[in-house]
Parts: sequence; structure tokens; C-alpha cells
Amino acid sequence: MKYRAKVAGPSGERSVEVEVQLDPTGVVVSLDGRPARWDIVPTPGGGYSVLRADGRQAEAVPHPGGNGTVRVRVGAERVTLELLDELTARAQAVAGKGAYRGSGDVKAAIPGRVLRILVGPGDSVLQGQPVVVLEAMKMENDVRAPRDGVIRSVEVSAGQAVGAGQILLRLEPA
Amino acid sequence: MTERLLIANRGEIAVRISRACRDLGISPVAVFSDADRASLHVRLADHAIRIGPAPARESYLLPEKLIDAAKRTGARLVHPGFGFLAENAAFARAVRDAGLAWVGPDPESIDAMGSKTESRARMKAAGVPIVPGMTTPAKDPEEIAAFGREHGFPLLLKASAGGGGKGMRIVRAEDEVPAAFARARSEAVSFFADDKVYCELYVEKSRHVEVQVLGDRSGRVVALGERECSLQRRHQKVLEECPSPVVSPELRARMEESAVAAARSVNYVSAGTVEFLLASDGRFFFLEMNTRIQVEHPVTEMVYGVDLVAEMIRIALGEPMSVPAHPEPRGHAIECRIYAEDPSNGFAPSPGTIHRLRWPQGPGIRVDSGVEEGDTIPLDYDPMVAKLVAFGSDRAEAIRRMRRALRETRVEGIETSIPFFLALLEDPDVLSGNVSTQFLEGWTYPGDPAPTDDAAELALVAAAVASARESLSVRGSSQPRPPSAWRTARPTFGHRE
Repeated sequence: MKYRAKVAGPSGERSVEVEVQLDPTGVVVSLDGRPARWDIVPTPGGGYSVLRADGRQAEAVPHPGGNGTVRVRVGAERVTLELLDELTARAQAVAGKGAYRGSGDVKAAIPGRVLRILVGPGDSVLQGQPVVVLEAMKMENDVRAPRDGVIRSVEVSAGQAVGAGQILLRLEPA
Repeated sequence: MTERLLIANRGEIAVRISRACRDLGISPVAVFSDADRASLHVRLADHAIRIGPAPARESYLLPEKLIDAAKRTGARLVHPGFGFLAENAAFARAVRDAGLAWVGPDPESIDAMGSKTESRARMKAAGVPIVPGMTTPAKDPEEIAAFGREHGFPLLLKASAGGGGKGMRIVRAEDEVPAAFARARSEAVSFFADDKVYCELYVEKSRHVEVQVLGDRSGRVVALGERECSLQRRHQKVLEECPSPVVSPELRARMEESAVAAARSVNYVSAGTVEFLLASDGRFFFLEMNTRIQVEHPVTEMVYGVDLVAEMIRIALGEPMSVPAHPEPRGHAIECRIYAEDPSNGFAPSPGTIHRLRWPQGPGIRVDSGVEEGDTIPLDYDPMVAKLVAFGSDRAEAIRRMRRALRETRVEGIETSIPFFLALLEDPDVLSGNVSTQFLEGWTYPGDPAPTDDAAELALVAAAVASARESLSVRGSSQPRPPSAWRTARPTFGHRE
């Protein structure tokens, strides 16, 4: 399997070409064309004990998010990276940068109760602007607009309980 | 007959009380709401009674349900824990009136300390220092200036009818008094339609230091040193330690003496905490008394070698406490409150199911938690997942062990405040103990540290292998293999067996 990855390091973000070859005797990972043998053992909870040829070891647990984003816990550190297989990466390059920005819906990231809705249909909003206040775990939490746009519809009402990922507002480009 | 104790609480503190019961040979009785049907505190109990739906006001806050649960299970004792009804004198009275033993102070003591004005007056009478302040409004600026000459500057000018910080002015020197008085007065009029102002001493850069006390029915009251709780976020303590890095043995003796006087003035029985504001010049002032066990009690337990919850139960049974007259501290303990929240996302709550959990172990580590792997953190209650406590022969060792414990901990499925604590325990002021209660207001989480090249590479390889493996297993057969097959078979992609 071939991938295009973007990962942040101490000297900023860099792009890496990754190729993974799995076989019963081991795994060979090529980073930017340089192959190396890795020793990788699954651990409970969906993680891996990852052992590099030079003996460097860490327990790494990947959490796939949307749009090719993967959050990986490595020991006590968190690494966020973008990992797209070659086909998707090519499709994205053809479609332009906007292709994977997701829908314009405003969703609840966490389950909770809608306390206040701060906007109405037809309102223009800016990316990052608070649009809904959710109460969860005894605290008020702002839900922010994911991008600039105009509110097309409000899908919930104040006092309503909502689940994680539920659409709160529909947003269309300005 | 088996002695039973009803735990009128949930989560971590209910588990903690349940453990003290077992150590004393007492059978723990749990109560639960619909959100807690199989929570850890229920699973560890011999009896468990449903008390209502998830919202606390329909379950954990209903005295009659709790007393009924005690009666149904033959429990003779009721421990309220902290939060919920722990400082509710009416509940303590109802428990007593039902012929049950309340594991805590008498309702009269709770009442006396529950009122800000009454407790202040009582402390003054008992000789416990309180923040010096005028008891009547100032007639003129000269009265304010005279107060400043007697007690020192800076002063805080306040509107008598005020609240919420409005109409308050800080006066740093005597020559500022006339102008500040005029300004405070006009603000008082415009905000509250009342021109009366008064002043009190303004204690800058103060610390929150509290003294643990324990009293029994024989009339003994013992102080068990202090806890440093200055690191607070949104007025919530996040990291506590025992002893305080700035309290000398001499200051400790004076604070303990005041705390015992405070407890005695309300005939205090059971475990309680006298909170003080400690000024940078070593003066300290009574803030309030918490008439219950506190979240941060484990740091005292580790340094003083006591089980405070077990002592509370002994005292409630009418037995004498098993603590010496002058307990001496040994070593140093630190507690971090681990919350289900994401520090890199503005501390947003992060409820959910914990599908992987590893608590730290080894020398000097204690974990008080109410959850296990597979459990879900409910939305309905406090988001504290656990208290991590590290003990060392001195403060430096306790800090090193806490860092080790934080790094060893693994929580997958939810985000936690662990990265926040790892960053906090690198701050030079935190490490030297140079903090005040305002410290965390001016300290922001710097964000997850940029990964090292090694971490980035290991992460990348793990993510790519996970993804490749997933697409292989889908392509390899018409029926995708369940992920559990990987785990049970534990295949390796290498030479380790």
C-alpha cells in the first residue's frame, strides 16, 4: 500500500511518501523511498508496540478521524498527521484543495443539551464564530462555525438533547 | 449482625468509601441512578439500590430515597462523600432522625460553618484570624485612611450593596484614599443606587492553604498538617500537595492551632478542613470550613499515614480516633485531578467510552478512580475520571514520580487533562512552588508539544500499518475478519514471539 502523508515535526510540517509491505515474516515500511524493516505487535485497545530496527520503541495508538486525519498517541505524546492512500491523494490533487473540506453542516462534537442558538436562518457567520451553546458535563461549551457562510437552516431547538455528530445547523457558502 | 454502611454518592469517592468499609469489615451499600446501573461503585458493593433517573436532582440529591435505601438494606451508617448532599444539614438531621448514624459532623456544626457571616463572627470570637475589614460603612475618607494605617495597604474598597466585583477599587497607599473613596462612592451609586462603601485588607498574591482536622466524641480535635491548593482553574483545584512548599514547621504549628480552635468553636466531630488564605508575608486568614471529606484528602493520608475515611467511620460508630496527638508529616505527596476534557481544545468536555485504560503502578503511586476499561463517562456528573497521587521522600521525588505516573497512564477513547499536567509540571514557578491562587489565570496550556522526529516517525508507521492492515483484511476475503480476531490471535509482523 502506498500513502502520501503530512506530519508535523520540530521543524514544521513535512510531506512523506510511505509504502507499506506486509508479509508473514515482518513489515517493511519505505519512507520517501528508503525501506526499513519494522517489528510491529498489536496491543490491547487497537494500538501497536512499534519497534524500529535500531531498537527505538513506543506504544502507538492511531485514532482515525475524518478526511484522512489520524491522531496517534505515542507514549504520552499526541501526533496529528494526514494520511491519504495514493488514489485518494491523486483524486484530491485533481479536484483541488477544497474537495476534502467536508460538508457545511455545524455538528455537535460532544453529546449534550442545546442551551442557546445564537444565529438564525439567513445570518452570515464567520469561521470560528460561536453559533450554538451546548451544555455538557455541567459546563457551557461554544459550538463554532467550521467556515464562513450563511445559515440555511436550524435543525435543533433550545433545550433539546443532542448526540455526538448530530447536525445542529446547516451552513451554505456565502 | 453484619454492619452495613450506605454510601450516598457515586463515582470515585463512592469507591473510596467502599474500600474503607472493607478495611473495617463493614459491608458497603451502593446507590445508583439509571446512568450508573453498573458503575464501578455498584460492582464493588454487596448491596445496590436504584434511587432514580440520571439527573442528580432526581436521584443523588433526594434525601428520602437515600434514607429509604439505607432502611431497606439494614444499613446503620450513612456516608455522604463530597458534593451532592455532603454539606446539607437538613439531610444530616433527617439521617439522624431516622435513627441512622451520619458519618460526618453534627448538623449544628454544618449550619454554623455554612453561613459566611455566622462563621466569621464565630471565628473572630474564637481568636481565629479573619481578613481584617470594616463592619460598618465608612463615613468619610479619613476612616478608610485610619483603617489602612492600622492594618496596612493595599485595601479593597467595596460597595456595601455590591457583588460580582462591581464597584471594587484597590487602594495601594494612603494618598490615594480620597480620590478612590469618591470614585467608589459614585460607582456604588450608579451600580447599586446606594452610596455606602467599606473596606477590607486586600491580600495580594495569596495562596490557598488548608488544614485537615479530625475530631471525635471524646472531645479530641487533632490537626493533620496542611495542603497546598493554590493551583486552581476556574476556581476549581486541579493539583494539590502536602505539605505546602512554603509552610515552615513554626507556621504549620500556628495554622494547626487556629484550625483546631475553629473546629472546637463549633464542637466539630469527624473529618473537616479549615481553609486559609496565606499572604506572602506569612499572615494567614480564615476563609471557610468544609464540613466533609475533601477531594484532595489522599495527599494528607499518604504523608500522615492515616485513613481519614476509616477514621470518620470509627468516629461515627462512637469509637475514639486512632490518630496520635501530634501526628508528624513524613515525605511529600502530590495529587492531580484527571478530568475527561481536552486541554488542546479549550478544555472542552470529552465524554465517551474508555476502550483502553492503564493506570500507573509502582512505588509511591496511588490511584483513586471510579472507572474501569469499557466504562462510559456519563454526561450527567462531574467529569473527574481519577485522582493520581504520587508520594516521595521529598517534593522533588514526588514530582518525578508524578511525571512517571502521568506518562505511564493510558486512556484511549476520551481525552484527558494529562497533557496539561505534564506541561504544568515543567513550569519553573510550579516546580519552585512560587504560585498563588491567581497563577493559573495567567497561565495558558501551551498546546501539545511538537512531536519529536522519532515520535512523528513511529506515529506515521503505526498509522500506515494500521491502515494497510485494514484494507488487506477487507480485500483478503468476502467477509471481513472481525478486528477481535487480530487481538485474540496476536499475529506479529516481526520476529518477537
